[in-house]
Amino acid sequence: MPAADLPFGLPEVDYSEYSNRQLIAVPLVVLLVALLIISGVWLTTGAPVNLGVEFTGGTEMRVAVSGDNAQQQIQQAFDPAPSAIQPVAGEETYILTFGEGVDSGALETQAEDAGFTVRSIDATSASFGAEAQIQALGGVVVAFVGMSVLVFAMFRTFVPSIAVVLSAFSDIVVPVALMNVLGIKLTLGSVAALLMIIGYSVDSDILLNNHVLRRQGGFYESAYRAMETGITMTLTSIAAMVVMTVVATAFGIGLLSSIGLILVFGLTTDLLNTYMLNMSLLRWWKFEGVNR
Amino acid sequence: MADEESTWDRIKANWRVVLLVVILLASTFALFSPTPASGGSAASTAGNNTTADSGLTNIEYGLELSGGTRIQAPLVGVHASGVEIPNDTSTSAVRSTVAANIENATASDVRVRYAGEYGDTIQQTTIVEVTAGNVTAAELDAALSEAGYPADGAVDRVSDVTQRTAVSILRQKVNQAGLSGGSVRTVGGDVVVVEVPNANQSEVRDLVESRGQVLIQAYHQNENGTYVRTTVMDSDDLRQVGNAQQTQGGQGAEVGVVVAEDSAQEVQQRFVDTGLAQQGGTECRYRETPNQTEPCILLVQDGEVLNSFGVRETLAQPMRDGTWADDPRFSLTTGNLSTAQEVAINLRAGALPAELDLTSNSMLYIDPSQSERFKTDSLLAGVAAVLAVSGVVFARYRRIEVAGPMIVTALSEVVILMGAAAAIGYPVDLSVIAGFIAAIGTGVDDLIIIADEVMSQGEVSSQRVFQSRFRKAFWVIGAAAATTILALSPLAVLSLGQLRGFAIFTILGVLVGVLITRPAYGDILRALLTGEH
Repeated sequence: MPAADLPFGLPEVDYSEYSNRQLIAVPLVVLLVALLIISGVWLTTGAPVNLGVEFTGGTEMRVAVSGDNAQQQIQQAFDPAPSAIQPVAGEETYILTFGEGVDSGALETQAEDAGFTVRSIDATSASFGAEAQIQALGGVVVAFVGMSVLVFAMFRTFVPSIAVVLSAFSDIVVPVALMNVLGIKLTLGSVAALLMIIGYSVDSDILLNNHVLRRQGGFYESAYRAMETGITMTLTSIAAMVVMTVVATAFGIGLLSSIGLILVFGLTTDLLNTYMLNMSLLRWWKFEGVNR
Repeated sequence: MADEESTWDRIKANWRVVLLVVILLASTFALFSPTPASGGSAASTAGNNTTADSGLTNIEYGLELSGGTRIQAPLVGVHASGVEIPNDTSTSAVRSTVAANIENATASDVRVRYAGEYGDTIQQTTIVEVTAGNVTAAELDAALSEAGYPADGAVDRVSDVTQRTAVSILRQKVNQAGLSGGSVRTVGGDVVVVEVPNANQSEVRDLVESRGQVLIQAYHQNENGTYVRTTVMDSDDLRQVGNAQQTQGGQGAEVGVVVAEDSAQEVQQRFVDTGLAQQGGTECRYRETPNQTEPCILLVQDGEVLNSFGVRETLAQPMRDGTWADDPRFSLTTGNLSTAQEVAINLRAGALPAELDLTSNSMLYIDPSQSERFKTDSLLAGVAAVLAVSGVVFARYRRIEVAGPMIVTALSEVVILMGAAAAIGYPVDLSVIAGFIAAIGTGVDDLIIIADEVMSQGEVSSQRVFQSRFRKAFWVIGAAAATTILALSPLAVLSLGQLRGFAIFTILGVLVGVLITRPAYGDILRALLTGEH
């Protein structure tokens, strides 16, 4: 069997050396661990992921502070003190996060009294945030179900379709678990990214299925060709998102950095899922499943 | 010899490229033409203020990139529909009975609206609405059945008619407050979004927080000798509200109003009945000795008495004669000009039928200096992402004729999207920029699929080989595009405010890509690889 000739000088992989069980075990274990983490967090905190101020309520304020000891000045200026202080690269600006139930007008006054310049205020009250939570969750569920229906309608065969749906599911779940592990909070940007993952993840899966199901030629030949293209696609997107995340984080553009970061998680997971989970399911179906 | 016919054939064969060029030119025109292109009526009105307009391009920037304040909040209130009210019951009886059964409501919080056409909205059944805080739909439902007016059901939001009225009143208030470029709209069904460029949070809060209910009341003694207030007119009775101006030769300011013809007689009668129009006019001592004064006119805004004044004989006499109603003019005086302006705005816009629920809101304020920074920083983030994509693509193909057009095509998608934003006057926000970047991402992915498919299995020898491979590639691209559109469509309709732009422009980007730019890339690649033109 020929080995996959991967782009970017990646080491060659010969799938025929590994059994389906070996291949599928890795992504399934990762998925299982991710689900365990999420359910653990869900049981202890009541939400599947750490929620940011847009969902729990709270205030995010950007202030410019001049002079030395900016952090100390900030600590003294506010009552209650901010729960998080994030400096913005290249400026004397800080992004302060306050918990729920603090009046943003009062915070603005405190900042001005301390001689800070208020650059922006983003305040959400708890009940508005609760509504946003329901909408965000609903949005992800609707998008996922819609995607599943569409995938089944396009392929009209069970195993290849469920392979796509399962790997998309894992592509969403693993980033969420990673957020929990790394202490990253869910923002509106991350919700957008999770929805984008549904779109991106399906890209490479559809490509793989399409090559295997609809082309002449052997399984390995088709699959390897799909891999060459698919890996280029995913790596290109990862590169773009890594760079965007780094730049946006440095400049404190929260929306762009959270979209970028979650997409990096999701796309990386997608490499694993497409070329181990989806690939082995397809191989099983092609060589054994069809004859049953 | 290249005669006319072969040129024409060449254009026909490359019509996708021609289409791309035409659309690119149109987008560039929309972006840079001195006057906004067609459909830019919204852009041109907002363009009158200096910051919503960028100067160099016709792109209209949203709040995050132009500075200002946005408040999102639902309206306070619950309503029940399909309420059965016996024919002989008066509206005021319904209001007081229902209010009596609800702990947190008074009769003035209860509104009864029979089925009918209200503006653009057609209301099918009778609606009873309570616009007080802390009242739940269940309480209203219970109160209605207790009062003997069973309802089909109650929901925790205001009725459609109330919401529409509230939005249009808020819009008037924002526009009249001299805060140019402001907008009021609803998202996700019941969240009202008020956006005002260049205003800070307290300005906007003050403007939208209050109901803005202005009442002109008579403060007078009833039969028993106790002082009571009787409303003699409100904003509904007025036909015209003048501009607030400084009182001639005195301190204070005034707003001239003209009472509507069909209300004039009643208003006049109330002036007479309450003793305001008594012989010789009245001298008001409301502020000094409220328990010992001749009848006063009170100017009341949201329950607060702004000013009190007496009635001159020159006004009282025609009222007693009944001739005032022929030319029903009246002047409201206030302590200072800014109060007079506020009163004028509130009288013109009318009272909000329901308050914004500012305990359940989301507020965003961006300082203009910050928005400038966002503009340059997000541009840098976008450029960095494009460079990263280019780097990877060149590293993979090492052929300029494959990778070069790929980058150019992906960038042209962004130009088209920006042109579209400029043409329809969609405010560009950080989330829209994220959408542009996402478009590059999905775009390049698809171009990679096309390139790989076309170049697979050796050289592309002929048109036909190219066509068949291109078609195969397109199946995958179409399927992927459909999923992305489906996945993002919830965001385009939900009230997760700032993500809407992201979803709309990512979807638009995918559509532009599948329909215009990616087919064109196929043609370009064919020309470069087959050597046929």
